[in-house]
Amino acid sequence: MADSPTFESPVVRGYDTADSGDLLLTDASATIKWLIRASPDGSVADRLGASFGSSSAAASGATVLGSRPGEWIVLGTAAEVAGAVEGLEGLDSSDFVSCLDWTHGRALFRVTGNETTRMLEKVCSLDWSDPMTPDGAVASASVAKVTCDVARSDVDGTPSYLVFCDRSFGQYLFDALIDAGDEFGLVVGPARP
Amino acid sequence: MTMSRLGPQPTEVIDRSTTPRFRWNGKRFSGFEGDTIASALAAAGEHVFSRSMKYHRPRGILTADYWDPNLLVQVGDDPNVRAGHRLLEAGMNVQAQNVWPSLRHDIKAANGLVSRFLTAGFYYKTFMRPQKLWPAYERVLATFAPGGKVDPDTPHRYHDKRYTHPDVVVAGAGPAGIEAAVAAAAAGARVLLVEHEHAVGGHLRYSSQEPDRAALSELRAALDASGVEVLTDSTVTGRYEDNWLGIVQRSHPIAVERLIKARAKVLVVAPGLIERPYVFSGNDRPGVITSGAARRLINLWGVKPGERAVVFTANSDGDEAAADLDRVGVEVAAVIDGRDGRRISAAQGSSKALEAVLSGGTRTEADLLVVAAGWTAPTSLLNMSGDRPVYDPAVARFFPSDPPGNVLATGGLAGDGSLDELRAHGTTTGKLAAQRAAAVAHRYQARTARALPVTGDEPAWAADLRVPLRRNHHPELYRSDTHGMIDFSEDVGSKDLVAAAREGYDSVELAKRYTTATMGSAQGKLETVNTVAAIAEARGETIAQVGTTVWRPPYAPLTLGALAGRVFEPVRVSSIHPWHEANGVRTILAGQWIRPDHYGDPAAEVRNVRANVGLIDVTPLGKLDLRGPDIPNLLNLLYTNKWSKLPVGKVRYGMMCAEDGVVLDDGVTGRLGDDHYLMTTTSSGAGGVWEWVENWLQTERPHWRVHVTPVTTAYSSINVAGPKSRELVSRVAEGVDLSSEAFKYMEVRTATVAGVAGCFMWRIGFTGELSFELHVPAGHGMHVWEALMEAGADLGVGPFGLEGQRIMRLEKGHFIVGQDTDGLTLGPSTGLSPLIKLDKDDFAGMPELAWAADRKLPMIVAIQPDDPNVVPEEAAQIVRGDTNEILGRITSSRMSPTLGRSICLGQVEPELAAGGTKVTVLLVSGERISATVMDHHAHFDPDGERLRG
Repeated sequence: MADSPTFESPVVRGYDTADSGDLLLTDASATIKWLIRASPDGSVADRLGASFGSSSAAASGATVLGSRPGEWIVLGTAAEVAGAVEGLEGLDSSDFVSCLDWTHGRALFRVTGNETTRMLEKVCSLDWSDPMTPDGAVASASVAKVTCDVARSDVDGTPSYLVFCDRSFGQYLFDALIDAGDEFGLVVGPARP
Repeated sequence: MTMSRLGPQPTEVIDRSTTPRFRWNGKRFSGFEGDTIASALAAAGEHVFSRSMKYHRPRGILTADYWDPNLLVQVGDDPNVRAGHRLLEAGMNVQAQNVWPSLRHDIKAANGLVSRFLTAGFYYKTFMRPQKLWPAYERVLATFAPGGKVDPDTPHRYHDKRYTHPDVVVAGAGPAGIEAAVAAAAAGARVLLVEHEHAVGGHLRYSSQEPDRAALSELRAALDASGVEVLTDSTVTGRYEDNWLGIVQRSHPIAVERLIKARAKVLVVAPGLIERPYVFSGNDRPGVITSGAARRLINLWGVKPGERAVVFTANSDGDEAAADLDRVGVEVAAVIDGRDGRRISAAQGSSKALEAVLSGGTRTEADLLVVAAGWTAPTSLLNMSGDRPVYDPAVARFFPSDPPGNVLATGGLAGDGSLDELRAHGTTTGKLAAQRAAAVAHRYQARTARALPVTGDEPAWAADLRVPLRRNHHPELYRSDTHGMIDFSEDVGSKDLVAAAREGYDSVELAKRYTTATMGSAQGKLETVNTVAAIAEARGETIAQVGTTVWRPPYAPLTLGALAGRVFEPVRVSSIHPWHEANGVRTILAGQWIRPDHYGDPAAEVRNVRANVGLIDVTPLGKLDLRGPDIPNLLNLLYTNKWSKLPVGKVRYGMMCAEDGVVLDDGVTGRLGDDHYLMTTTSSGAGGVWEWVENWLQTERPHWRVHVTPVTTAYSSINVAGPKSRELVSRVAEGVDLSSEAFKYMEVRTATVAGVAGCFMWRIGFTGELSFELHVPAGHGMHVWEALMEAGADLGVGPFGLEGQRIMRLEKGHFIVGQDTDGLTLGPSTGLSPLIKLDKDDFAGMPELAWAADRKLPMIVAIQPDDPNVVPEEAAQIVRGDTNEILGRITSSRMSPTLGRSICLGQVEPELAAGGTKVTVLLVSGERISATVMDHHAHFDPDGERLRG
């Protein structure tokens, strides 16, 4: 019998890693991710607190991303996400709500550094300027020709982005981001949720 | 024309301490860092750089910049390199193009002897008849094709791509452009300044005047402090809808070229002016150069362009050229002032001993004839914005007319004036651009969900209160009293255009296409106005009456590499892919998926599944998570069969048809809970079916409460197939009774597999064997696969790939949508008419299928060649006897390892669909074979005893 199951990342190639760097790419695919669907202006929307295109922090500590009208991605530790999702389906009987564990379906990467904008400009056509994509902004976009959800989530004032894609594209997209960041000195950080 | 290197010049851009060595036509040369290829060669005394396209006349420097049509050379593998622009690099191997046997002695120069027969339209008139000789003509003409050589083995180099969204893009970094950029940045705009040349400054760079040099220093300092992003050696190649700009960045540390797609809120067009040649006999001889070329050679690269010069000038640039020549020791033998009505009539003699002939017949010997006859306003980006520039005969050039509000012109394009006036105009233009960009930004932000909220109303659109630049009078100097060259790239002379007009091609657009004037490497920058002038003269009209051609993108020619940009080719892999790679897989690309095709011997894989047990990674199988109370309604609408009474834990097969009744997809859907289903689709149809479902839900039945989420790769899907599959699965699964009584065919369970909770287990399969299809949370897919492999070692477990699966499904007679069906295959043609329930209220395709129900349609049937060793090609035609009348085709065909014979599926006309019918299959080889239609689709286990286990 094989070993007891641990989460297998879609990024399977080995890389030289560093704990920090001016432009740091980390694999955060193991982060717990749930997809919530509900009315865009109902009770669930009110509780989640993130309108389409923006994000919020749940009381449990989970991050809530308004990824589409009536659609949210909730991410964090298992406890944080459970706290944010618990009770949503029964919150309002008139609001049709569904909650789906999406952890295994989406690869998730974080890229952090002052050069992230210039790096992302190489693979995505969105306007990354502060007014158009401020901290907390959430968007759907083609990144290196892969449909992705992208959320700006700055770290201590440094620009940082979360990039989600279909798990099966994970290895490809990770390599594409490394390639895009190469000219800016991108380093790969150790995988972490 | 005797050129040589001068002593250091105060404005030179060369570093005399670095001397890169290179080759020119096999001979060794050296230059200085900062030289262009052409300036280095000129400094070394070279005066012929190319041969003209048609007549192979020797050509020398004309403009000494990017646009110089005479300076196209081959550098290594790169053809058509602009030697007037490309900077010298050590080790370059530079060669003249399209000459034989050498640049000096080019045998094709014999064309000049018959030049009077090679006028415009020569090809069209000469090679039209007899038509059958065209291939021979083509072979001969190909040897005269201009341009360099491309080695097909040249490696593809890295071309990069970038997107950007600046507030203001300024095209052109002359004094007005720099001022506009700095002013816009000072007003808070994000500015991108794009300069065609290697450095900013425009004409100030090659001015020896002290005030100009001081102004350039001041401008550079302001620019450095402004925060403007500056791209040099870059060109705005096109302006498209809503200021979508293409920019090619030619110098980049990591890429040969970078294509930038910029969405500018406001575009400032400041390209300056381009000096145009003057048309007279011999104007294409080496030694005849523009005043700008003379000043660039002297002041940028310290090259003395000749020893004895005649200067024909009609403006201050020509005057300054004469002064520069005099300053560096060139004997200025004569200055002919065009403002006084004097004209140069001809340049005669050899390239080393020119003779300038004035209109009155006066002759002056020289080795250099410098011409300053006026400028072309490169209005391309304005044309692309929808503007129609207007010709001003008093100034002898075109001016902007009415560009859209988000496109502003400044600098020489907008008018004349002192340097201070031009700079002031640039400053006010930059401020205006920033104001208008702020209004556009407000609009963009207000309509973008993710953007910062805006406050207040959109700022008012700032009025254009700029003081127009004045216009200085300039004589209309296009053609002298002799004929000469107009398009140096295409070898089109003024005579050709006059002849074209005489033949009826007297509209500028027609003449352009007939003669190819303006269609060469300079893209009309040097030729357009002279072309229009020649036609106007031929028609006896003014330039304004004739009008001009419409300049379209690109502003400057692009490489195909730049257009292709960076190539993204996303690929998808399953979680189990590393195992496949480690175990000798041969992959196949299916859509974007890299899938296991087989592991060396697909037939052996089939035999193992039939005898023991096999595993296949079917992760790409489309999977949609459905939630909500209206799912039965949705399934009834999507599928042709009924879904209202599917119990929890059951699975049902369904066929999906489009509204025209054509088979769209098929798959099984299982009910996991009261309001929770999992739908599977074909692998190739996963994306399309999701869109199809969402389309129905969002546009046709928005009141239905169903949420659909694609979860194709949220689960690793593993099919465990074979008579020992139950035994194998039982060793790793917990919480589920796998007995045939408790877990029947076409049922679904939730189970823990190899310690992984939340797995879905289906009793279905595509191979015809007892099968368990496991859908495992993808983050544990590899773990479960390896657990199965380990647990089944004593059972003979082995992997099988797509090829093995395709063989087994064919043995079982399962059709594949898209392989055995096509874009015309209606539902009943599949043989699944019992699944088409016309007594339902409604479903997609129902009217068409009701119509089709009573009609005889082509049918999918199983076919076996009478010779069991012959495997017809897929798509081989089924024909009537010895004729070529097509009655169907083979859609799938394989040698069956199980049956030891060839087996097929095919589509046939209805009269051939009955079991036992003999058909004729026409092979690709032309051979016809006999085959028999079978009673049912399954070649193997038609009663399904094995799969029910």
